[in-house]
Parts: sequence; structure tokens; C-alpha cells
Amino acid sequence: MATAALEFLPAPLRSFRLKTKQQELLLRVSTLALIYVLAFIVRLFSVLRYESMIHEFDPYFNYRTTLFLTENGYSEFWNWFDFESWYPLGRVVGGTLFPGLMVTAALLYRFLRALSFAVHIREVCVLTAPFFAANTTLVAYAFGREIWDSGAGIVAAALIAICPGYISRSVAGSYDNEGVAIFALLLTFYLFVRAVNTGSLAWSLASAFGYFYMVSAWGGYVFIINLLPLYVLVLLVTGRYSMRLYVAYNCMYVLGMLLAMQIRFVGFQHVQSGEHMAAMGVFFLLQVFFFLDWVKYMLNDARLFKSFLRITLTCAITVGTLALVVGTASGYISPWTGRFYSLLDPTYAKDHIPIIASVSEHQPTAWSSFMFDFQILLFLFPAGLYFCFKRLSDATIFIVMYGLTSMYFAGVMVRLILVAAPAVCLISAIAASATIKNLTTLIRTKSKSPQASSGKTTGSKAAAKGAVDQSLPFQHNAAIALLLGAFYLLSRYAIHCTWVTSEAYSSPSIVLAARGHNGGRVIFDDYREAYYWLRQNTPPDAKIMSWWDYGYQITAMGNRTVIVDNNTWNNTHIATVGRAMSSYEDEAYEIMQSLDVNYVLVVFGGVTGYSSDDINKFLWMVRIGGGVFPVIKEPDYLVNGEYRVDKGAAPKMLNCLMYKLCYYRFGELTTEYGKPPGYDRVRGVEIGNKDIKLEYLEEAFTTSNWIVRIYKVKPPKNRS
Amino acid sequence: MAPAPPRHLLLLLPLLLLAAAPAGADDLVAELQSLRARSPSGVIHLTDTSVTRFLSAPASRRPYSVLLFFDAAALHSKPDLHLPQLRTEFALLAASFHDRNPGSGDLFFADIEFAESQHSFHQFGVNSLPHVRLIRPEHSTLAGSEQMDQSHFGRLADSMAEFVESRTGLEVGPIVRPPLLSRNQIILLGILFLISIPFAIKRVIEGETLLHDRRVWMAGALFVYFFSVSGGMYGIIRHTPMFLTDRSDPDKLVFFYQGSGMQLGAEGFAVGFLYTLVGLMIAGVTHLLVKVESLQTQRFAMMAVIAIGWWAVRKVIFLDNWKTGYSIHTFWPSSWRIWNHPH
Repeated sequence: MATAALEFLPAPLRSFRLKTKQQELLLRVSTLALIYVLAFIVRLFSVLRYESMIHEFDPYFNYRTTLFLTENGYSEFWNWFDFESWYPLGRVVGGTLFPGLMVTAALLYRFLRALSFAVHIREVCVLTAPFFAANTTLVAYAFGREIWDSGAGIVAAALIAICPGYISRSVAGSYDNEGVAIFALLLTFYLFVRAVNTGSLAWSLASAFGYFYMVSAWGGYVFIINLLPLYVLVLLVTGRYSMRLYVAYNCMYVLGMLLAMQIRFVGFQHVQSGEHMAAMGVFFLLQVFFFLDWVKYMLNDARLFKSFLRITLTCAITVGTLALVVGTASGYISPWTGRFYSLLDPTYAKDHIPIIASVSEHQPTAWSSFMFDFQILLFLFPAGLYFCFKRLSDATIFIVMYGLTSMYFAGVMVRLILVAAPAVCLISAIAASATIKNLTTLIRTKSKSPQASSGKTTGSKAAAKGAVDQSLPFQHNAAIALLLGAFYLLSRYAIHCTWVTSEAYSSPSIVLAARGHNGGRVIFDDYREAYYWLRQNTPPDAKIMSWWDYGYQITAMGNRTVIVDNNTWNNTHIATVGRAMSSYEDEAYEIMQSLDVNYVLVVFGGVTGYSSDDINKFLWMVRIGGGVFPVIKEPDYLVNGEYRVDKGAAPKMLNCLMYKLCYYRFGELTTEYGKPPGYDRVRGVEIGNKDIKLEYLEEAFTTSNWIVRIYKVKPPKNRS
Repeated sequence: MAPAPPRHLLLLLPLLLLAAAPAGADDLVAELQSLRARSPSGVIHLTDTSVTRFLSAPASRRPYSVLLFFDAAALHSKPDLHLPQLRTEFALLAASFHDRNPGSGDLFFADIEFAESQHSFHQFGVNSLPHVRLIRPEHSTLAGSEQMDQSHFGRLADSMAEFVESRTGLEVGPIVRPPLLSRNQIILLGILFLISIPFAIKRVIEGETLLHDRRVWMAGALFVYFFSVSGGMYGIIRHTPMFLTDRSDPDKLVFFYQGSGMQLGAEGFAVGFLYTLVGLMIAGVTHLLVKVESLQTQRFAMMAVIAIGWWAVRKVIFLDNWKTGYSIHTFWPSSWRIWNHPH
């Protein structure tokens, strides 16, 4: 092309005259490139508004491990025993994490270094999620093309590039597993559908590797390993069994399983855990299907085959059930974990596992959250479902199943909206693309042949119907009106997404922003202030006790040992901390002595009005503590079932360690004009205990806005 | 919540006191046991008279404890109080206790209704429901008896049992819940299921089941979608009611709750319906409308679709902004500086 263009330089205009197909290709590629860039830059709002920093809680752990990986190499990382967390137990980090994210970031870092870009590993970590989100748009395009046509692919890419449900977990700085996992998830699904469509071993192999990457990156791979067998099962039930399906699933399952076993954290779960048994069952079922097919071909006798079928089916089902029962009874196959179980029976977690129920992202989803994260896609989704059912194929069945299962799970837990986002974008893209295509085709045919008289409409309608599989009945004007409506919807979507990204999803939550009285922005940087204080002013071997939410941040930024952190693997240990926080000071002192605690850190929002502080989380500490130590009883902290901190609060509440540490000397402070001193701006009340005396602890540091308060545990008294 | 007892009830009081003629401790226990035997669930229904007789007696003649459930028929319709549900759980607790300790004279379960026993409510100092009290032998006054805490209603009969066990030292044992279907129903269903198996197999082989009907799958798919986006799961997990009544005006119903963290059942379903409606209209225009013969009908339907679609989308966007309090707007580069947010 380029050389050909050069020859025609004297007449440059002519050289740009491309064939329609080339024009289309050029348009498509440039649109995709723009979408790719858009997906990346829309996620940079957080850098623009704040600074290039790691967000929230878990990403700090990921960052710390990545740093370790780049400094010490892979084998050190693999064998890393972290004694700085879960004191005195420690944590085998190498064997209890999904290394995909860290390895990816480390490789990117190496690659950039090799190109002699002098980047810091933190910048790589901050930008990993946007980079993978941009890649996801390409996968979405390919997937959309596979299940519908290239137009739907482009629309899907555009929708997913700015879909808030996805952006919420992939803005710059949110360096978490989900950032790369959604890419891996969609890639695996795309490759698998491609394999089913083509029956090619190569695609199937590729999807096995996609699955491997997913397993290495996120625990959500369980969704894949259950959705794929379910899909195969549905195809079998609806009589769509084919050789292509057989090849695709078997290769993907066997290789994917073997590869997944290489991840230490997953290990032998594929053959031992109840969550993975569906995949294995379907694998054997496929073999039975294939075998029967073969026998049918060999026998050539309907009656003989029927009796054979009866015997084989009975045997297969009996053997399968027996194996499952024996495996479960002997403990070889582990039962479902609580997290998985709570997806199927949503009320389970609320009653039985407070440590899951306490996390805000595990709450059920209200309609406004769906609206917030998907906006008009919700209107397009049913239409897309309808289109898919009208043109049923192996690929559309898959996308429908993916959409519906993930939609259901998103209803159970807010965080799973993320998993549903790609499916919703794809299905909505089908609706949007097919509708717009029909409308434009209609407008074009009308304008080419002006035969809008009512007598001939039926004829042209039939013609249009023959040309396109779906066509519109009305005239030019209605088509234009509908087209304008569609663009109105899509532009609302773009406005909504940009606004949501910039205002709601770009906050790092470690630096807080509020709007002052004069409308300007006030930044509270108390967390980092406190962590750097710890780093500079405490002995390197100091042990810090705090609620588990802040564990990762303290180890990563403060570089000090913590008792519990966000990896909530040991409930008893967390309950011990919860018990200490909700006991009287002398009882808490004994617990802290037994854990060698030197400093206690609490988060308090009473001065700034920061509502997710420890006093608001306190009831969960009581519940989790009381779940292991029955001496802690929730009713002791409530008055008539009501949680209060003012004068009417329960006496136990007013004197427990958490209350004392949060409100120590708070009674002397006037927080708001016209209110008495000791007015808590989060709870909106004057506190009940203003005269707090500490006996076993002393205040060590309080940040400038009182958000973080650190106390030193006094050494035991000398014996006289 | 309870208004002061009407004057005429106070006048009746001396009569009631007279009626409570002294009786021996054994007599009282025997009488309670016979009352219990007469009640199907084992919960004794008390009135003002019997409260005085069985509970106001001095401790020496009252060797038993009574767990008393305060009920009010007028408040059964209030969904947030869960009174009928708690009452059935209470009966379950009583039944489980009697299964474990047949003929026990140590603990009795009783309930009392507000409209007919207002005086007793007053004596106990009960002014809000739900309310459960344990009157033990050592309690000398009625108001001094122990109130069961709100948190013990949380897990229904199981948590109430914990309360009873911790306070009285008596064992309640596992809560025996009646199965969802009775034994005969299960047998009947089992027989029906067995009979239907051959038919089902035949149809599966012929490929004529509902599973092979595309429309059934589609209806199911749309339902799953509708249920998810309308926050139905939220309602199940959080037990949110369909609507609330306005506090200031009891006749007015509140269907929409302002605040992003919470939702009511009805509002979710209303919004979910709008989503589904618009989506299906888009699909219908391209797939169904083309098959309609009459041009007039087509025109009219098209106009209707455009109008309804426009209205529904605007409505949902408006509702969402109202509920969450966000004011979503476009970013225009020139107005970045003078942009002033309504707080």
C-alpha cells in the first residue's frame, strides 16, 4: 500500500481512494485503536485528581509482594515466609497467593527496563490495571465478532472501555487481581467459544493457557470451571453435541487442569474440592457420549443399541454417584467453601460467616448499584437476549449463559458486578449494533430509491427483509427518530460513565478528599502521615495491633509487623484482636501482652466526618470476637438493640478499649461551631464518656485530622 | 405505643384481685399443666385475670418460670415488627421444650394479647413490641422480671432457646421445625414423580420437552435478568419489605426509599419492569412489528414505542439521580473552573 501510494504522489488525492473493503478495514482499525487509547486514559482520572499511588487495602499487599519479587527474584518469592504479618504465626506468602498479577507486573517492569525506560516499579503497578483493561477491549472486539459480527464487536469494545462496573476495579492505582483477571476471564471464554466453533485443537489449547493465566491471577477462576461444564451440559441436553465440542472441552479441561495444578495455592483442588467436581463429571459424561456415539455407529441395530444404552447409562450414573459419595464421605473430596456456598444460598453467609458478611463489597446489590454500574446497558440487555434467542448458535448460547449466571451472582454480591460487566457489554452490544444496523440499512435503501408511498412500502419491506434478517416496518422518519433515540441513549451512557469514573471510582481511599465550606477541595492525608510516623519513630521490630482492614497498609507503608491483616485466613487470630478491642482496658492489656503488642492503631472519623472508621466497624469486631470467645456478647454493647455512643450508650461500650482509644481527649475538642465539645460528626451526637483515663496505654501519635490515632502499650509495671 | 388503660379497667381491678383467691403452689402448677394440655401448641393464653392468678402470687407459691410473649392483634399487619412470625417461632420453641421435657412444671410458655389485657401490659411496663419476658420465681414484682433482648429475636427460635437455656438452666434441646410438606404430601409427590418418569424419558428421547422449547428458555432468561437487576436478591437477604408506611401519615405508603445503600422491594421491581419493558420493545420493533399487516397499526405502535421508551428511560434516570443524590453532568472543558457543585 505504502509504496503504491508513493508512486501517485503528484496526485495525492487519488492515492487515498480506497476500495470499500479497505475503507471499512481502515475505519475499523482506527476505531479500535481509539477505543484502546480511550480505555486506558479514562482510567487515569485517579492519577490526575490525586497522584500516582496505590489504592485501597489489598493492592498494598500486592505492591509489597511485587517489590519483593523484583528485588529478590522468583525463587525467593516462591519460598517467601513473611514474618511481618500475622504475628506470631507468620504467613507462607509464596503458597497462599495468586502470583499472576505480581509476575505480570514484574515482567512488564523487566521489559521496560530492557528497553531502557527508567521506570519505578510503583508506576508499573499503578498502570497495570488500565493497560489490561485496554487489552480487554480488544478481546471484547474479537469475542463480539465471534458471536455476532464485527459491528457488534466494535460496539462491545466501546461499551466495555468505559463501563463503570469494570472501571471500578481497574482505575490506575487499583493494583488488584481483578485488574488482570477480567482480561484473562474474557480471553479464556473467547478462546473456548472459538474452539467450540472451529473444533480446532489449537484454539482449545490456547484457551487452556488462558485458563492457566486466569487461575494464576484470581480465585474467581472457579466461575470458569463451573460455567464451562454447565455450558457443555446445556448443549448436550438441547441436542447440540458435536465433535467440535468434544475436542474443545476435553483438551481445555485436561490441559487446563494440569496447568492449574502448577499454581501452588490451587494445587490438587481440581481433583479434590467439591467446587471443581462439576467439571470432572461433565468430562466423564462427554466420554460416555462419545463412546455411545461410536457404539451406535458400530452396531447398526436400533434395538440392540437401545438395550446397550440403558445398561451403560445406568452403570455410568451409578459409578459416578458412588464415586462422589465415597469421595465426600472419606474426606478425599472437600465440601464447598463458605464463599462459594453463599453464592448458591445467599442467606448463608449472613447467618454463619460474619467475616464474609462484614465486608462491604460482599453485600447484596440494590437496583441503584446496577444502574450506577451499567446504566443504559440494562435497557439493552433484554433486547440483546431476545436477539440471541432469535439467532441461536453455540456461541450465542454461551454468551446468554455467561450473562445470566453472572447477572445472578452480581445480584448476590456487589463485587461480582465486575464479572458480569463483560457479558452485559457484549449482549448489549449485540442489541445496539443490530438495531442501529437495521435502522441505517433502512434509511439508506429508502434514500436510494424514493418509493415512500404507502402502497409500495410493503413491497420494499419484503425486499429489505430478504436482504437483512431483521428489518423495520416504518418509514424514513421513524427510522431517523429511532436512530436519534439510540444516539441519545449512547451519549447518556458516555456522559454517565465519564462522570462516574471521575467522581466516584477514582478515589484512592487512602487519601481522602472532601469539599470545604467555600467549595474548594480539602485533602486528608492522615493515613500516610500515620504510616510514615510508624516507619520513622518506632523500633523496627515493633508489633502493631489494629483491625484487619489496615494490616496490609501498615506492613507495606509502615514496614512494621502486624497481628492480623486483610488475608483473613485465621479467624481465631482475628477474633482475638476483636476481643481485645471490645474488652475493658485491663483485660485487653493481658491479651496484648500475650501477643507482644507494642502499639495499637485505631481509625477515627469523629473530627472529619469520615464514616468508615473503627467505631462504625466496631460491631463487627464484637460479632467476630464473640463468634470465637463467647465472653464477648453483642447485647452488652447495645441499648435496646440500638448502637449508641452518647450518654445513653451501654456501660460496656463506654469503657471498652476501642471506645477509649477513639475518644481519648476528644471531650476537650470542639469540632463544630455551635455544638458542645466532644461532638462526634459521624454519629452526630455528643459522646457519652468525656473523661477517659488510660492506665496501660499512652497516646503516642494522632494525625493532623485525628483520623489515625496510635497508642503505645506501656511495659509491665516493676515489681516492688 | 400502649395507651393508658381505660378507666373502666381500673375499676375492674379490685374484682380481679378478689378472684385471685389464694391457692397452693401445687394447685397452680397442676392448673397450668392442664391449661397447657388444652392448647395445641403448648402456649398458654393469659389474660389480666390469669396473670394476677399465676404471676402476681408471692414467690413461695410460684416455683415455676413463665416465658411470656406480648402480642397485639392490631399490629400483626405491620411488616417491620414481624409479630406473627415471632409468635409462630415462639410456639415452635414451646413445642420443642415440651418434647424435650414432657410434663415439666418448671417452665411454662404463655402469651398475652394487648387489646384484652391492657392492664397487664401496663403492669409489666411494656410499651413497645415485640417483647418477650421471663418471669422467674425469684422476681418479686412483674416489672422486675427480665426482658428478652432484641438480639435474641434475631435468629428466631434458636436464639430464643439460647436465652431460655442461659437464664433458667433448663434444656430446650434442638428446635423441631415441622417439615415443609407433610408425610402424606411427600408420599403423594413421590408417587406422582415416579409415574411421570417414563413419560418424561419418552419425551426427552423424542425431543419434545419444555427444555427444547426456545420460548421457555427465553422467558426463564428474562426472568433471571429481571430478578437480578431489580435487586430481588437484596430483598431476600436483607428481608426488606415491599413498601413502608409513612411515619407522619400512616395512610400514606412509601414505595421509594431515598439513599443509595438501601432499597425497598416494590421500587426495585418497578425499575426492573421498566428496564425489561424498554429492552423488549427494542426487540419487538425489529422482530414482531414487521409481521403486522396493517400499516396504521405499525405506525401507531412505532409512535407508542418511541414515546414509552423515552418516558421510561427518563424516569429511570431521574429516579436513580433522586435516590443516590448524584447529579451526573457532562464535563465541558471551559467550565471546569467555574463549575460549582451543589455541595
